[in-house]
Amino acid sequence: MSTAATGLRVKEKAPVAALVEMCSVRLGQTLFGVPITHILEIVGSARPQPVPLAPAFVGGLVHYRGDVLTTVSLRQLLGMPPKDGSQDILVLESAGGIFGLLVDSVGEVLTASTTDHEPNPSILDERHRALFAGAYKLKDSLLVMLDPEQLDPMRLSAARAA
Amino acid sequence: MDELTREFLIESQEGLDRMERCLTDLEERPKDAGLIGEIFRSVHTIKGTTGFLGFKRLETLAHAGENLLGQLREGKLTANRPIITGLLHLLDGLRSILRTIEADDNEGVGEDAVLISQLEKLQVPVKARAKRMAHAKVGATSVPVLPLEPAPAQPAMPDPAPVPEQPVQAAPVQAAAPAPVEAESDPVRSRAQGTAAESTLRVDVTLLNRMMNLVGELVLTRNQVLQATSADPRMTLLSRRLDMVTADLRESVMKARMQPVSNIFSKMPRIVRDLSQALGRRVRLQVEGQDTELDKSLLEAIKDPLTHAVRNSLDHGIEPPDVRKAAGKDAEGTLKLRAAQEGSHVIIEVYDDGAGISVEKIRKKAVERGLITEQRAARQSERELLQLIFLPGFSTAAAVTNVSGRGVGMDVVRTNVEKIGGKVEIDSRAGKGTTLRMRIPLTLAIIPALIVRSLNQSFALPQGALSELVHIPPQQATAAIEWIENAPLYRLRGKLLPLVFLDRLLMPAGEHKMASERDNFIAVLDADGRRFGLVVDGLADPEEIVVKPLSAVLKTIGLFSGATVLGNAELALILDPGSIALKAGVSMREEDAVSVNEGETDAGAVGALEYLLVEAAGRQAAVPLADVLRIEQLPLSRIEYIGYRPVLNFDGQLLPVEDSGGVLAAAEGNPQAQIIVVVCREANRHVGIAVSHVLDVAAGGDLFEAGTTQRTGGVTLLKNRVTGVVDLGAVAELPAGEAQPDECSQIGETVA
Repeated sequence: MSTAATGLRVKEKAPVAALVEMCSVRLGQTLFGVPITHILEIVGSARPQPVPLAPAFVGGLVHYRGDVLTTVSLRQLLGMPPKDGSQDILVLESAGGIFGLLVDSVGEVLTASTTDHEPNPSILDERHRALFAGAYKLKDSLLVMLDPEQLDPMRLSAARAA
Repeated sequence: MDELTREFLIESQEGLDRMERCLTDLEERPKDAGLIGEIFRSVHTIKGTTGFLGFKRLETLAHAGENLLGQLREGKLTANRPIITGLLHLLDGLRSILRTIEADDNEGVGEDAVLISQLEKLQVPVKARAKRMAHAKVGATSVPVLPLEPAPAQPAMPDPAPVPEQPVQAAPVQAAAPAPVEAESDPVRSRAQGTAAESTLRVDVTLLNRMMNLVGELVLTRNQVLQATSADPRMTLLSRRLDMVTADLRESVMKARMQPVSNIFSKMPRIVRDLSQALGRRVRLQVEGQDTELDKSLLEAIKDPLTHAVRNSLDHGIEPPDVRKAAGKDAEGTLKLRAAQEGSHVIIEVYDDGAGISVEKIRKKAVERGLITEQRAARQSERELLQLIFLPGFSTAAAVTNVSGRGVGMDVVRTNVEKIGGKVEIDSRAGKGTTLRMRIPLTLAIIPALIVRSLNQSFALPQGALSELVHIPPQQATAAIEWIENAPLYRLRGKLLPLVFLDRLLMPAGEHKMASERDNFIAVLDADGRRFGLVVDGLADPEEIVVKPLSAVLKTIGLFSGATVLGNAELALILDPGSIALKAGVSMREEDAVSVNEGETDAGAVGALEYLLVEAAGRQAAVPLADVLRIEQLPLSRIEYIGYRPVLNFDGQLLPVEDSGGVLAAAEGNPQAQIIVVVCREANRHVGIAVSHVLDVAAGGDLFEAGTTQRTGGVTLLKNRVTGVVDLGAVAELPAGEAQPDECSQIGETVA
C-alpha cells in the first residue's frame, strides 16, 4: 500500500563531494552542460517548423513521439546569430512540462566532481546569470552548466514580460 | 491518498449520481420500490465503506439518511416532496464531504447536525415507530409492512437488497423477510451485475489521450510507409494490411473515448427540479436520445452550455403556471432535451414550450445597444434577428434574477460551443416556445481541414469555418482587390468582403509580395458571425488532421488553435478563424455597415426561390435554380438545327435549345467557339438555354405584376435589379427563330 511505502521512504542527503553526470553540448565555441537527470531524449538533426509571431526565443516546433514539441533556441537566448542547417535537440523535462532545447551539436556524457564546480562569476551579466548554474573546471576548458528549469519556455516568457 | 480511498471516492460518486437520478424519478413515482432500493443501496454502500475507512463524519450523515430511507423502503413513509428535498440535501452533504476528502485526504470539520436533525424530523415519529416495532416483534415477520411494498407490481425493478443489509435501528425481523418476488429475481440481477462488472474496466482519461496520440503517430508512420513502399510490389500486401489495421485501431481508440450524453443529461432533472421550485414553475422534463455518444472531452465542454440553456429555458422560457393557464396552455410546462447523431455531428436540442422570444423586443434592444443599425435590423429576417441574442452583453430579461438575465448567458453558450468546433442556433415562436440547437462534432481529436500555404509554410484551416474559395490570378489581382485606405476588400457577389492577408498578419514586419505578383486564394470564412476573406498564396489538399495541443507559450499568440502533422510529415499550425478575425479587427458591426450600403435585396420573403443568374447578349436573366440540371460548356458544332430550331443531341436525347439572347447567332461562323448551355428540367422534358455567361446564384422573390398574369414569364428582384425569369414552359411552344424577343427582359425593363 502506498501509505506504507511513504512511511518507509528514507530521506537521502547528497554527500558533500559527489560525481555529477551531464550531457555536453556545443554552441559555437562554448561547451555547455545539461544535467542528464533532466534529459528525456536527444533528437538529432531536426529542422523545427518556425512559428510566426512567437516570442523570439522559440526555435520552432518539432514532432516528438506523437506530440508537438515547442523548442527553445539556445543561440537566440544567448544573443548569437542563428545557425543554418539542422540542429540537435535535447528533450528536457521541467516543472512546466517538456520542451526541446535547440543546440548546435550534442557531445558525450561527462562526469565531473562537485568539487570542481564554481558558482556564476559576479561579473556575468544579469541575463546570463539567470540561465547558467555555475561552471565546472574541466582539464582544458570550462563547462558552463545550464539550468533546465530556467530554460522552460513559460518561465522565459514570464521573464521577458517582467 | 491510498488506492482504497480513491476507489471509494469514485464508487461513491457514481453511487450518488445514480441516487440523484433516482430521486428525481422518485418524485414522479413515489411508490417505486426499485428506485427506493437503489437509493438506499447507494447510501448504505457509502456508510458501510466509510466505517471501514474511518470517515466518521461521513458515516454519521449517511447513517441518518439510511434511517429515513429504511422507513421509505419499508413503506412506513411515502416519498413526498419534503422528504425528497431532504434526501437531495443529504446528497449534497455527502458530496461536499467527498469533495473535501478528495482535496485534503480527510473529511474536514463541518457541522452536519442541522442536516441530520432535518432528516430525523422527516422520519416517522418515534412513538409510532416504537409501536410498530413492537407489533412486528409480536408477529415475528414483517408481514404488516409487506402489503405496502409495491415490489410485486414492479417485476422489472425488483428490490435486490442483499439479505444481510440491516436497516438501522430496525428489528432484525425486518431484514429477514424479503418478499418472495425479490428472492426469485435476486440471482438473475446479481448475475447480470457480475458480468457487467467483469466486462468493463475503468481507464484513466490521460491514458486514453496518450493512446489517441500514439494512434495519430501510427497513422503518420503508416502514411510514410505507404509512400515509401508503393513502388515495391512485395510490400503492397503488407502495407495494405498495415493500413487497415491502423484505421481499425484508430476507430477503436476513438470509440473508447465515447460516452453517452446521458452522462450529462442525467444531471438535468435535479437542476430542473431545484430551479422550477425556486422560480415557482411547473415543469415536466422529457429526455430523448440519451444513448447518443460523444467524445468525452466534448461532453465535458458542453456540460456548462447545456446547463445554461436549461436555466434560461426555465427562467425566461416557461411561464409561471397561472400565466400559462391564462394563455390557454397546460399549467405544466414541457422542457425537452434531445440528442441525435447526424452524420459526423451530434445535435443537442433544448426545447421549451414557454413564452418564446419576442423578435420585436430583440430588434429594439439590439438597436438600443448599438449592436445593429436600424436599417439593418429592418432588413433582417426573424431568424437572423433571433441569433442576435448570442452577442455579448445581450439580455432581454426584464429583471435580473439570480438564475439568469445578466446578459452573460447566451454569448457564453456560443463561445463554449464554438470553441469545440460546434455551432449553436436558436429558433423561437413568440407564445409557442423556443428551441436551442447545438451542433457538436463527434470528435475533437480529428477534424477535416484545408491545408493552405503562406510564408512558404503550411497551415491548416478547419473546414467548419470555410464557406468558399476564390482564386485570383496575379494579373487580375489589382483589379479584383479594392482598397479603402489600408483596408483591402473584395466584391463577393456584389457585397464587400473584408480581406486579411495571412502573410502580413503573421509577419507584420517582413516584406511581402504584392498581390499582383503572386497567386491569391481567398478563403471565405465565417467565424463567430464575422465574415471575411483570408488571403493565402496557395492551396494544398484537404486532409483529416489530428489536432495536437500547443504549449502554453504558443497558445498566448492566440492565432493558432493547435498544430498537426501532415501526411508528408511536415508540421502545420492550425489557424483559428475566430481569433484571426478579432486580431485583424473584423467586427460584426463593420460588416453590417458595409452591407447596409451595399444592400442585398432579397425580398425578405420566407421561402425565397434561388435563381441562377445568367447573361445572354448583354442582358441578365434568371433561371430558377431548382430546375437547373447542369451547365454544359460545349463547342458550337454540337448544336444542330431542325429547320430554324437549334437542338442539341444530348445523351441520345434531343434537347430543344432556347436562344432568345441570340448567343448562337452571335457565335455563328466560328465553329471552334465554345458556348454554354444551361440544361433545365421543364415538366417531363429537358430544355437547354444558350447563354454567354453564368454569373451567380442568388435568392429572389417572385413578383408577379398585375396584368401580366399570363404564364409567359416572371420577374424577380435579384441583387437590387429587376431581372426577368426565363420561362421554361414557353420554350417549346414558340417556333424557333421568330417572335422570340427577350420577353423576360422586356418585362424587366418595363417594371424597372
